[in-house]
Amino acid sequence: MGKSSKDKRDLYYRKAKEQGYRARSAFKLLQLNDEFHFLDDPSLKRVVDLCAAPGSWSQVLSRKLFQDERATADRKIVAVDLQTMSPIDHVTTLQADITHPRTLARILELFGDQKADFVCSDGAPDVTGLHDLDEYVQQQLIMSALQLAACILKPGGTFVAKIFRGRDIDMLYSQMGYLFDRVTCAKPRSSRGTSLEAFIVCQQYNPPSGWQPRLDLDQSVQEFFQGCFRGSDSPDVGPWHETPRDIAPFMACGSLDSFDSDATY
Amino acid sequence: MEYLAHYGPSLCVKFHGDLVYAANGPFLHCYNYHTGELKRRCRIFHRNKIHGICIGKDGGLLLYGGNSVLIADLQDVNERTCLMEREKSVNGWIISGEFSYSGDQVYLLTSYNKVIICDKFGRFMMNKSLREEKSILYSGSITVYSQDKVYINAGTVMGGILLWDLYAEKMVHNLKGHEGSIFFVTESADGRYVASCSDDRSIRLWDLRTGELLSVGWGHTARIWNLKFFDSGNRIVSVSEDCTCRVWEICQRGNNIDLIQQNIYEVHLTKNVWGVDVDSTGRKVVTTGNDGRIKITNLGDQLGTEEEQKCYTVEEIFDRTNVPLEKGEIIKGFEWFDFGLVAITSTGKIFLLSSTKDSWIYLTKNDKFSSYSITHGVPDENVIVFANNRGDLLLLKFSDDGERIVAKTEYHCSNLSKTTNCLIRKDSSSALLVLLESPNPRDHLVCLKFSLSTLTHLDTYHFTKPANFVSTCIDVHQNFLLIGSRFSTLAVYDLTATASMPYVIRNLNPGDTTTSIKHVEDQGSSSLFSVTNRDGYYNIIKVNLTQDASHRIIHSNKIVRGFLEGADFDDRGDFITFGFKSSLFYVYNETACYEVFSHICGGAHRQWKLSQDSKSYTLVYIKASDIYIKRFKKAATRETLFAGIHGREIRDITVQKHRKFNDGFLFCTASEDTTMKLMHIEPKSGRLTNYWTQRKHVSGLQRCQFINETLMISCSAREELFLWEIDAQAECSRPYMTLRQTLPTSSGNPDLRIMDFDVKFDSKGENFIMATVYSDSAIKLWLYNHKENSFSLILSGHYKTCCLLNVLLEVLRDQLYLITSPTDGHLVYYNISNQIPFKIDVDDNSLTFGDLKLCESELPEFDCKLQVHQSGIKTIDSVMKTNGDLVIFTGGDDNALGITVASVNKSTAKICARVADFQEKAAASTITSCNLICNATKLLTTSVDQTLRLWSVTEEKLVLIDSSYTTIADTGSSDCVSIDESTNLALVGGVGLSVVQLS
Ligand SMILES: C[S@@+](CC[C@H](N)C(=O)[O-])C[C@H]1O[C@@H](n2cnc3c(N)ncnc32)[C@H](O)[C@@H]1O
Repeated sequence: MGKSSKDKRDLYYRKAKEQGYRARSAFKLLQLNDEFHFLDDPSLKRVVDLCAAPGSWSQVLSRKLFQDERATADRKIVAVDLQTMSPIDHVTTLQADITHPRTLARILELFGDQKADFVCSDGAPDVTGLHDLDEYVQQQLIMSALQLAACILKPGGTFVAKIFRGRDIDMLYSQMGYLFDRVTCAKPRSSRGTSLEAFIVCQQYNPPSGWQPRLDLDQSVQEFFQGCFRGSDSPDVGPWHETPRDIAPFMACGSLDSFDSDATY
Repeated sequence: MEYLAHYGPSLCVKFHGDLVYAANGPFLHCYNYHTGELKRRCRIFHRNKIHGICIGKDGGLLLYGGNSVLIADLQDVNERTCLMEREKSVNGWIISGEFSYSGDQVYLLTSYNKVIICDKFGRFMMNKSLREEKSILYSGSITVYSQDKVYINAGTVMGGILLWDLYAEKMVHNLKGHEGSIFFVTESADGRYVASCSDDRSIRLWDLRTGELLSVGWGHTARIWNLKFFDSGNRIVSVSEDCTCRVWEICQRGNNIDLIQQNIYEVHLTKNVWGVDVDSTGRKVVTTGNDGRIKITNLGDQLGTEEEQKCYTVEEIFDRTNVPLEKGEIIKGFEWFDFGLVAITSTGKIFLLSSTKDSWIYLTKNDKFSSYSITHGVPDENVIVFANNRGDLLLLKFSDDGERIVAKTEYHCSNLSKTTNCLIRKDSSSALLVLLESPNPRDHLVCLKFSLSTLTHLDTYHFTKPANFVSTCIDVHQNFLLIGSRFSTLAVYDLTATASMPYVIRNLNPGDTTTSIKHVEDQGSSSLFSVTNRDGYYNIIKVNLTQDASHRIIHSNKIVRGFLEGADFDDRGDFITFGFKSSLFYVYNETACYEVFSHICGGAHRQWKLSQDSKSYTLVYIKASDIYIKRFKKAATRETLFAGIHGREIRDITVQKHRKFNDGFLFCTASEDTTMKLMHIEPKSGRLTNYWTQRKHVSGLQRCQFINETLMISCSAREELFLWEIDAQAECSRPYMTLRQTLPTSSGNPDLRIMDFDVKFDSKGENFIMATVYSDSAIKLWLYNHKENSFSLILSGHYKTCCLLNVLLEVLRDQLYLITSPTDGHLVYYNISNQIPFKIDVDDNSLTFGDLKLCESELPEFDCKLQVHQSGIKTIDSVMKTNGDLVIFTGGDDNALGITVASVNKSTAKICARVADFQEKAAASTITSCNLICNATKLLTTSVDQTLRLWSVTEEKLVLIDSSYTTIADTGSSDCVSIDESTNLALVGGVGLSVVQLS
């Protein structure tokens, strides 16, 4: 059964059409917001939407940030994806690979020396079917997004990223814990119960005091985080050891009577 | 918890002398590939799977996977079963590894294009990288030409291939042209070529010196994962997501170099071949895949060397024998023997081909067999039978070398005016039975008996022909003659009581022509026969031939695709089928699910014959009036070192706990790949035997469950729910399984899934009621009547609109409750006592048929509803306490584990439920299955974080007592069986299957 045919039967797909969203994913962000209210903060001004195509999250952000046309002077939305995106009001789009340090440098440039309040990434690489590799690549995508977040977020800022809850997800929870005061695993009801997809919601950006995030074009993501959390500065080759792991609290998002994405209608 | 065995994706494999080393999760397996024997099994890593194996010149062994590496000697693997304490961690994901030229160093290419060099003891020496090129890699390889010339091939996501010199840290080429991520890149050992493959399904061949693109190879129908040069760099083997392995030849034509696809082999199941290696002779390929199969493919045997395929034109046969060819004369029939071929022409000329001498001899001419003849043989007796349509028979017996005719009989059967069919079979007393049939439905069937040594006529039998009967195949067992017919019909005749009417079995399956009948084995006074149908169905029927004949279908299935011409069990007990699919003739191992061979012969509508001996199969067929002889050597070595399990996730596992079979247990797996497998596990070693792969479901399965000693139920999308009967007699060589009944459906919606079911038997243990819950929130209750073999709907309704995940049927204080768990995290209780046609016994809670009339009623309002989890409850198990309270264990998508206690309030007669314990962080991810064991004092859970956890249950509280990582991804199902007072065996399924012993 093709994925697209399943999507078409999905109620969220129809609802997205009705409300003018480019993808059903919009409801994932909206349902996350129902619980965490990060987009309802009146001081929210500058946001980055990574892996944004076709752009439904950007649409949600645009509607939230620019609903009141008067107070929009210093507001900014930057959206990045490998794919091209058709324009969205109030959104600056960039076609680039977020794992490339150069892309991050370009985003930083767009913000000048201003900090962002909110960074999100709904990115997912093409899966190979080799579970451990897929999970590794997904985590590297999150690490790239986190690298940008580390460079651009104001203290107290929020980072949201798509995760797949596989075998090393507890390692990621633990790493996020070094950079944010509050880390939650959130699952919107519009995300299928049968998929491993969930979102990591990291609130209160607060990096370790001894660590200075500094973007260097000749550094890999891995090298960027050296010294940031335990395990990030392990030797090139050393004896096998357990990596620190932590289970983040779980939060189901969206009200119980919202549509169920596993149901057949 | 102790791991007994692990089966699942195998990512890499290597030939070494007579041995094959294959990765299996964190284990390294070593097989002798001649005998198929698993010689050694060694645990290598704590968590990571082995992604790569290198064997150094002096027996050094390098294993890597994820961020783990182990450097050892082959000797270590021979001596030890665990080398985990020598595992090293690397800062980065290892893409590739290799020994240095001298063998005393190791190169590790990591995912950010950095090479770590360390010594043989894993001590770090230095790093090498390419400046400003630290993007993430999907693949790569290392080619070592000398102590200081080492090339790195790095396959990037967007930037093509970065080919760089390790020690110079300089780029040699940036090869661009593929679209999308590079999934593999390698160099030929002589430094001539680079070959790469990618997302774009092509293989590209590059000139290593110039970086020029030489050729693009198209053929694979999905992504390509691995490549290997062999035959001194003149050929490449590739493996892909499309389950095939392909051989490519690098052909030089003038200045052009082309990559030509030479052969395709279907090697694995459902999805993804990961590992490939070629032996030192270049004649054998070994592949491993997501299904865990280790498959050996013999290239030599299928490349079509001269001696294996022959073709003779009619002209050539006449030329060689100096016989004048008459106008329009063609080959009419033939039979293959050890010594060669005997053929008859349309004018009745008989020729013999000696296969050793490759010479044709003209034997004789018999005018009676001109224009119409039917030819059959008994190859192991060197006997051939020709029949015409007037009742004439010519029987010839040859000497073993085919040089002489040792016996000859001409016989005329005067009982039939016309004959249109002749079938033959050797019986147990070494006599030959020849069945003749006339087109007249009122004529008898005539069966003639000849001595196979002298060909003298011994006996004649006359049988009444059933109505609507056109014979197609026969078998003889003891004194019974079984005749297969069109319209899926079978007639059984007693040769000792020819006057009696036959026992006729009609409508064996939906197909038409019965293509073969073969005696399988005896079971008490019954005999088992396998019966195949051209339309692809096969059955095993159990026939009781004594006195009142009766029969039962004990096994039914359908082949993957194509026409089925016959089937038989081989010496190993594997069920081998053969027939046609489109223009191919195939032989398929149905037990292990792989193709033994296939041959393009142009399709089913030609004259053909397959014969086999212990060494080879011979397919003879006529195409455009030429005669083709295709011989396939049976592999001298094993074709699969391990047959594998499912190519995709195992969604559910059920063990037959009620009784043992062959000192072990039968179990069934239900997979996303739409098939079910019936297997056996040997509890001491954890060894698996696969018996059958059932293909009745057309959508990915949800659940399967044994409900008593013989019955099992499975369900999936499209509202499919099947009731299976498993026939497992101790005296039989294998169990059999057949579909007993199908649940009626209500809509054609392909997405309507039956998520779960539960049953409750009546006190006699025959009839049962069954609850089913659906993805559209529907809840249904059915009555299964054993005698009538029917399901009737007795109750239906909806919870809300959300998907229902689990259901339980439980009796609490003489009331029957249906308990379901929707995706909203609640447990919902319905009292359905008034809707069922049963009385509930107050003392023992058993059900007996009451006098309530069977009618369909509405689901009542729920009695009680309590939220336990934040979101979907994925798994549920329950136990009744002695005080009559029901304790329900639930595991959820919210990582939590809960205990709910439900009881009936005496005054209101309503359910009241409370959450007695709730472990919020019971796992790092979704809990997908739970099993109560040890009299419900312990609970085993599996979760998608790939961890098994064992909890003790005391006073309605859960305490974690043990946990263990499993290499099975998408861990989604488990079942446990106790093997003695203190030991349980757990089967854990996901992408693969683990066997864990719990003591
Ligand atoms: C699920 S979609 C995002 C949907 C989006 N949030 C919306 O609401 O429309 C995932 C996206 O991740 C993008 N992506 C994956 N890897 C990327 C990378 N390395 N750099 C930038 N984008 C990437 C893909 O191109 C894809 O468009």
